[in-house]
Amino acid sequence: MVGLVLISHSEMLVDGLRDMVAQVAGEDVAVATAGGTDDGRLGTSAPRIAAAIRSTLDATAGDVVVLLDLGSAALSLELAIEDLDPADQARVRISEAPLVEGAILAAVAASVDGSIDEVMAAAAGAATITKLPRS
Amino acid sequence: MAEVRLLVLDPSGLHTRPAARFVKTASRFASRILIHEDGREADAKSLIALLGLTIRPMSEITLSADGPDADEALAALTAELAPFVSPAG
Repeated sequence: MVGLVLISHSEMLVDGLRDMVAQVAGEDVAVATAGGTDDGRLGTSAPRIAAAIRSTLDATAGDVVVLLDLGSAALSLELAIEDLDPADQARVRISEAPLVEGAILAAVAASVDGSIDEVMAAAAGAATITKLPRS
Repeated sequence: MAEVRLLVLDPSGLHTRPAARFVKTASRFASRILIHEDGREADAKSLIALLGLTIRPMSEITLSADGPDADEALAALTAELAPFVSPAG
C-alpha cells in the first residue's frame, strides 16, 4: 500500500492533518509527518523530513508520496532526499498538490490499494476540487 | 444495469467522511458504479469526483452499477449510506 509523508512549517498543522487523514481514510495507510524545526519553531528541517520518509518507507512495502506546504519545505525536502539510498529514492514521489486537500484525497486512494500513479493523480485533483455547493 | 434512487437527508449533505467510506466500499466491487445527481454524474470509486458533486441535503441521487457484481455493489452501498439517506419516492 502506498504511504504518505506530510511536511509543513508547523508541527501542529501536520499533526492535525494526520488525525484528519486517519479519520477519513482509516488507520491502514502509513503516514509520517515532519513539521517545524528541531527546536520547535516554525520552519522545516531536512533531518526531520528524512526521518519521516524513512519511517514511511519502513512501514509499507509500497511507494511513498510526499506532500509539502510552501517555500523552504521544498529545499529541505530536496536535501532530505539526497540523503536517502538510491533504492529508497526510487520509491519516493513528490506531489505538487495543496497539502491538506491533497493528503486526504491521496490517503483515500491509497487506502483502497490505489497504485502510486493513482494516488498521485488523486492528490493532484486537490488543486481543482470544487468546495462550495452550486448556488 | 442496476439502479437505486435515494434521498440525501443528512444536514451536511454527503460530506467528506461518509463520502470516503462510500468510495472505499465502491472500490471493493468490479462493476462500474456511478452516482448521479441533478444531471451530473461521478465515478463512485473516486473521492475527488464524488466531492466535486457537492451533494446537498434533500438532493435526490441515483446509484447505478454495471457489471458482474452490480446488485451486490448497490446493496452494500445503500447499506453504507443508510444513516444519511432514505429511499426516494
